[in-house]
Amino acid sequence: MVKFVEVSKNFGRKPVLSGVSLEVREGEMIALIGPSGSGKTTLIRMVNGFVVPDSGEVWVMNRKVEYRSRSALKSIRKETAMVYQLFNLVDRLTTLQNVLSGALGRYNSLMETLLSCMGFFKREDVELAMDILRYVGLEEKAYERVDRLSGGQKQRVAIARALMQQPRVLLADEPIASLDPKTGKKIINLLRRINQEKGIAVICVLHHIDMVREYFERVVAIREGRVLFDGRATDLDEGLLEEIYQLEEEACTA
Amino acid sequence: MYSLNSGVKTSQRIRSFLIVLGLVLVLALSLRASRFELHKLFTGASQSAELVREMFPPDFSNFLEVLRLTAETLSVGFWGTFLGTLLSIPLALLSASNTSNRFLYPIARYILSLLRAVPELLYALLFVIAIGLGPFAGVLALIFHTVGLLGKFLSESIESIDPRPVEAIRSAGASPLGAIRYAVLPQVLPLFVGYFLYMLDHNVRVAIALGIVGVGGLGVELFTAMRTFDYQRALTIIVVISILITLLDRISAKIRGDIIEGRAVNKPYLLVLSLLGLSSVYFIPLEISNLGHRMVTLWEFIVSMYPPDFSTLGIYVKLMVETVAIAISGTFLAVLMALPLGFGSARNIVHLSLLVNLFREVNNFLRAIPEIVLALIFVAAVGLGPFAGVLAIALHTAGFLGKFYAEVVENIDRKPLEAIEATGTSFLQKLRFAVLPQVIPLFNSYSLYILDRNVRAATTMGLVGAGGIGFELIMSIKLFDYQRTATILMVVISTIMLIDWLSFYLRRRTL
Ligand SMILES: Nc1ncnc2c1ncn2[C@@H]1O[C@H](COP(=O)(O)OP(=O)(O)O)[C@@H](O)[C@H]1O
Ligand SMILES: [Mg+2]
Repeated sequence: MVKFVEVSKNFGRKPVLSGVSLEVREGEMIALIGPSGSGKTTLIRMVNGFVVPDSGEVWVMNRKVEYRSRSALKSIRKETAMVYQLFNLVDRLTTLQNVLSGALGRYNSLMETLLSCMGFFKREDVELAMDILRYVGLEEKAYERVDRLSGGQKQRVAIARALMQQPRVLLADEPIASLDPKTGKKIINLLRRINQEKGIAVICVLHHIDMVREYFERVVAIREGRVLFDGRATDLDEGLLEEIYQLEEEACTA
Repeated sequence: MYSLNSGVKTSQRIRSFLIVLGLVLVLALSLRASRFELHKLFTGASQSAELVREMFPPDFSNFLEVLRLTAETLSVGFWGTFLGTLLSIPLALLSASNTSNRFLYPIARYILSLLRAVPELLYALLFVIAIGLGPFAGVLALIFHTVGLLGKFLSESIESIDPRPVEAIRSAGASPLGAIRYAVLPQVLPLFVGYFLYMLDHNVRVAIALGIVGVGGLGVELFTAMRTFDYQRALTIIVVISILITLLDRISAKIRGDIIEGRAVNKPYLLVLSLLGLSSVYFIPLEISNLGHRMVTLWEFIVSMYPPDFSTLGIYVKLMVETVAIAISGTFLAVLMALPLGFGSARNIVHLSLLVNLFREVNNFLRAIPEIVLALIFVAAVGLGPFAGVLAIALHTAGFLGKFYAEVVENIDRKPLEAIEATGTSFLQKLRFAVLPQVIPLFNSYSLYILDRNVRAATTMGLVGAGGIGFELIMSIKLFDYQRTATILMVVISTIMLIDWLSFYLRRRTL
C-alpha cells in the first residue's frame, strides 16, 4: 500500500532520515513512535509530497510517487488523507463546509471547479458528508462554525474531512497530542474503527505507549532518522522503550 | 446533479442574500448620488494625465521658501501632537472602564466621541474665523481631534491590560493613582508610544491639508499655486509633500516596530525625529501672550452661532446624504483598487520580490498625498462636483486598504491551507476554501473602518469644490451666517457619530 525504499532526507547539512525502508500493507494500521525530532513527520509527509526525499523511493498503491509532476502529486493526494495535531480546519467555515472541502479533489474540470467555488456540490457528496458526520457522531453540529467546537469534536471533523476523500491511506500526525487522555482515546478508537470497517490503512504517529499497546498490532520506532524497531506492539518491552527514548547525551556517550 | 448545499442553513443563506442585496442597493444609490459615471472615469483619467503633463518641468525657483513652509507644517504637526497627547491621557484614563468610575466613565466616553466626530479641517476652519489666520489655529485644531482619537485608542489599550498586577498593588494598600502609576502605565507604555508616533505621522499629513483653510505651511502654497494655474510650482510642492510624508511614515513605522517587538530603538531614526521635534519649538513659539484675548474672540464666535438657523435644514440633510454617498462610492472604488494591490504586495501570494516591492511603492505613494490635495487636482481635471471628491478619496484610501489587506493576507494561518492542499485541490479551490474564509472578515472590518474615516474626509471635500456639505459650510462662514454654520455642524457631527457607531457595531459582527 505504502512503501518507503531507502529514503533519506537532509535539511541543510543535518541528516533527518537516513535510509528508511518500510512497507505498510493494505488495510494495515501501524503506530509510528520515536522521540521528537526523530523524523516521523518528515517521513509521513513524503507520502503526499510535502517533503521530497533526497534519495530513495516512495510507492503508494504500486505507483512510484513522482515529486516533479503536479498532476501525479494531486492524484496521490486524493488517495491519501492526512489528520494533524492542531486539526488544521478552516475556522470560519461550518462543520459541513469543512467536511465537503475533502471532496474538492474530485471536482477537476473547469466547470466543476467553478461550481464548487460557488458552493455547489454534487448531491451524492452532500449526502456522503452527512453520512460521514453521522459516522463520527457530529451530525447535529453540521451547520455550526467549527471554531465553536471542542478539541475532540474538531479532530472528528478533521477525520470526517479525511474520510470525505474516500482515501486508501490515512496519515495521522500526533492526532491526540493536544487532547485530554479520555478524548484522545476516543479518537484512536475511531481511527481503529475506520481501519477495521472501511479497510483504510492507517499510519499514526503518537507518543502514548499504553494506547499503542492497546490498539495497534504493529509498531515502527524511529530514532535519529533510522528504523530502530519494527514489530508487534506486544514485543515493546521496557528495555526497548529505554533504547528508543534514551536521552541524546547518553546516546552520544554510549 | 448539483445542489447548492454550501454547508450553510437555508435561513442563513436567505439572510446573507438580503444583506448583499441591501449593500448593492446602497452602493447603487450612492454612485448615483455622487454623480459617478463610468465614462467620466476615462475622460477624467485623460484630463488628469493632461494636467500632470502641464506640471512638468517642476518649478524649483522658490525652493527655499518651500523649505521654510515645510518647517512650518512640521511644527504645526508636532505641537498639535504633543499637546493633544498630553491632554488625551487624563481623558483616556477616565474613559477606560477599569480606571474610571461609574459617573465619569460615560461622560468622558461621550466627550471623546464628540471630539473625534469633527474632522480636523472643520476645527481649523472654525478656529481660523474665531481667532484669526495662522499656525495657532492649526495647532488647536490638531489638539482637539488628537484628543478624541488618541483618547479612544489609549482607553482601549488601558482596558485590555492584565488586571492582576493592579489588584496586587491595590491590595497592598496603594491609592488609585499609585496603582495607575505603578501597574497601569508600565503595561500601556509601549502601545502608547506606538500610538503617539502614529498620531504624529497622521497629524503632519493633516497639517498640510490645513493650509488650505489658512493655517499656513505647505498647504497654502499649494492651494495658491493650483488656483493660479501655476501647475509647475504646484508639482514642486507635491514632490516635497510626498517625500516628507514617506520619510516620516518610514521613521515612525520603524520606531513603532522596534518598540512593539521590544528591540532597541534605531538610534539615527530617533535622532532625526527628535531634531524635527526640537526645530518645531523654534519655528512656532506658541503665542501664549495674547491667549486670553484669543479665548474671548473664540467665545464671542461660539455665542454668535446661537440660536442655530434651521430654516434650510432640508438642504443640509440632502447635502449630507450626498457627502455620505461620496464616502461610500470612494470607499467602493478604493476597495476595488486595493484588492489587486493587497494581494500583489503579499509575499506569501506573489513570490517575485520585485513585483511585491512595486505594489508596495504604489501603496505608499497613494497614501502620501492627502486627499484634500488630490481633490484640488481632480477638481482642476474633471471639474467641480462630487465626482472629484470620490476620485480623491478613492485614490488616497486605496493606498491604506492595499497595505492593510496585504498585512491580512500575509498573516493567514498556513495550517488549513496545507490541509486543503493535501486533499488534492487546485489553486483556485485552495484560494476559495482556505484563504478567502480567513481574509474576508478582516477585509470587511478594515473596509468599514475606512468607510467611517472617509465620511469625515468627505465632509471636507466641499471646501475645495469637490462636492458634499463642505461647500455650504464654507459659504455660510464667508457670509458671516454663523447661525447656519451651527446647523450645518450639527448635521455633520450627528451623522458622523451615527456612522461611527454603526461601523463599530458592524465591525464587531463581521469577525
Ligand atoms: N522544513 C524544514 N526545514 C528545516 N528543518 C526541518 C524542516 N522540517 C523538519 N526539520 C527538522 O528535521 C528534524 C525532524 O523533524 P520532524 O520530522 O518534524 O520530527 P518529528 O516529527 O519526529 O518530531 C527536526 O530536527 C526538525 O528541526
Ligand atoms: Mg512531528
